[in-house]
Amino acid sequence: MTVIGRSWSRLTPAGKVLLPLLAVLLALPVLLVVGWATGFLPWLIGLLAQVLGANADIVRFLLAATVLLLFTVPTAFVIIFMEMKLIAFINLRLGPNRQGPWGVLSSTLHGLKVLAKEDFTPTGVDVPVFTLAPVVVYLGAIMTIMVIPFAPGLFGLDMDIGLLYFFAIAGMGVIGLMMAGWSSFNKYSLLGGLRAAAAIISYEIPLTLAVVGVIMLAGTMSLNQIVLQQAGSALDWYAFQQPLAFVIFFIAATAEAGRTPFDLTEADSEIVAGFATEYSGMRFGFFFFAEYVNVFILSALTATLFLGGWNAPFDLAIVLNALSVTVDPTIDPGSLGMGLLWLVLLGPPLVVLLLALPFWMLKSDWSFIKSLVVGFVLFNVVVMALIGIWAYMSFPVVAGLFWFLVKTFSLVALFVIMRGTLPRVRIDQLMGFAWKWLIPAALVNIFVTAAAILVIRSGTD
Amino acid sequence: MALPQTVPFIGWAWDDLIFLVLAGLMLGGGLMVVLGRDIIRSGLFMVLSFAALAGIYVLLGAPLVAAAQVLIYIGAISVLILFAIMLTQSKAGPSNLVFHHQSWAGALAAVGLAVIIIVVVIYTDWPGAATGVVASATTLIANLLFTDYVLAFEVVSVLLLAAVIGGVFLAKREDSPDPGARAVDEPTLGRLPAPRDES
Repeated sequence: MTVIGRSWSRLTPAGKVLLPLLAVLLALPVLLVVGWATGFLPWLIGLLAQVLGANADIVRFLLAATVLLLFTVPTAFVIIFMEMKLIAFINLRLGPNRQGPWGVLSSTLHGLKVLAKEDFTPTGVDVPVFTLAPVVVYLGAIMTIMVIPFAPGLFGLDMDIGLLYFFAIAGMGVIGLMMAGWSSFNKYSLLGGLRAAAAIISYEIPLTLAVVGVIMLAGTMSLNQIVLQQAGSALDWYAFQQPLAFVIFFIAATAEAGRTPFDLTEADSEIVAGFATEYSGMRFGFFFFAEYVNVFILSALTATLFLGGWNAPFDLAIVLNALSVTVDPTIDPGSLGMGLLWLVLLGPPLVVLLLALPFWMLKSDWSFIKSLVVGFVLFNVVVMALIGIWAYMSFPVVAGLFWFLVKTFSLVALFVIMRGTLPRVRIDQLMGFAWKWLIPAALVNIFVTAAAILVIRSGTD
Repeated sequence: MALPQTVPFIGWAWDDLIFLVLAGLMLGGGLMVVLGRDIIRSGLFMVLSFAALAGIYVLLGAPLVAAAQVLIYIGAISVLILFAIMLTQSKAGPSNLVFHHQSWAGALAAVGLAVIIIVVVIYTDWPGAATGVVASATTLIANLLFTDYVLAFEVVSVLLLAAVIGGVFLAKREDSPDPGARAVDEPTLGRLPAPRDES
């Protein structure tokens, strides 16, 4: 073996990724200069621009898919951090508090740690199936984001059959779990995979049946249209017209996402993390990445179907009118003239000083520099808040996104609190609950909703 | 999303290329189902074949059918088949499929089916190009299902209900009401004997 081969084999997995990247980075300037000098590069750029221009829709699709993929990363990180902190609070612990202020960087560093770990394939596994399983699980999770309306006009695709698409794709994830469970060549993994299949098939039925009432009320399966049907105040939300469906849907969603109290699929105290037992490194990470993305998506879908999606719970204009406050969010910087220049020049330092002075005067042990820094941070917070309020008032997209995320993350917090408080159920209790209670309740809900719609419509006609 | 007329560099229509890829995946997956040695992989190739078929439905402008295909064939039937395989098979068991003993009969059946299909395709009077693809077929299908074809729909529902009840009856027949109360010496088919108290 040559020296290079020996050095290469001694590198950690992270090094094996980073070193080629470094080499590419070093080679890039050389290649650019050579390419430009020979005229190859301008020709290539021209050709590329022509091809991209002719296929603008494909470019847009690829961009949207990339944005979608990237969007899941911070979402999962936020949810993981939230879970660590909230459960620590419930358990009277401190939780992560070393990485960054209040440990906010801990989930990011967890992600990097998992990325750098050795990706190990045990002996006896069915290699292609074993390798593909995390991909299928993750794809099943993220492909559903496409139909969720985040804000007015902010969605991947307003499908006529959006809800059906959602359930179809979400049901594909279980195949990944079964693949992982089978191919791992481990009885715990197989048990985990079988439990996942049994639980998800059972809970998909009440999940889908609970939504039928909403579809009948809204008269459409397009998620965007369902949100539009709930416009108005909080009383127009389907959670109040379909309370039973809301409860059934939330319980079934908990089981579908494999969260406590229904996390039988990975029950670490019984079957040592189930289908994920034999996985390591980022492939292990993908399962849990997918789980947190799933939690987000199911919360988002619950918010969309039952809590009005991006509709605000109250109309801000009416509240402001009642308080006789008039706010005109339109800003015209030109009307200030020279004053604008002075404002930009003097405003920030003055406000920073103004915010820093009270700290400096009240905290005798703080140096002036320290209070200045605190003042600067406070100034940024104030400015961000002002910009946020201005954007909320001016753009319906921002307002919609704000309410959508507030509702979604409230539901995520509910999932986390359930994990912190409820014990895990037994597998027979899990199945019995779905078949003996949730499905009959969902059927009753459908009949009652249909009867109510008939009675009300016949009264108005 | 509207695709441009032709694929860059090749010059084919997009629909043709996508159809070829999907059809290849479907047929290849189908072949792998019957030719594979590992029954779990056969099941997974069947999923691939179903998924490619769903893609062809989308290409034909029937997203509702595609969604139903994915929801029912992949999300329910394939999962149940895989579930059954995983419960009954083990890696220590024989890896040969039962079909491999009947390959000649299977080949004859396949050829016969192909001949029938070819005859049907040739002698059917196909309508020309469709007059126009309906963008939203959901409401139309629902209307047809609950007006013109409501009898067939209900008959299928009753048939499925009968199948479900029959399945439950067959599965439940041998069980005593409380599994824990079973007599220790009673021989049970396919079950491990209950632990004996040896002391």
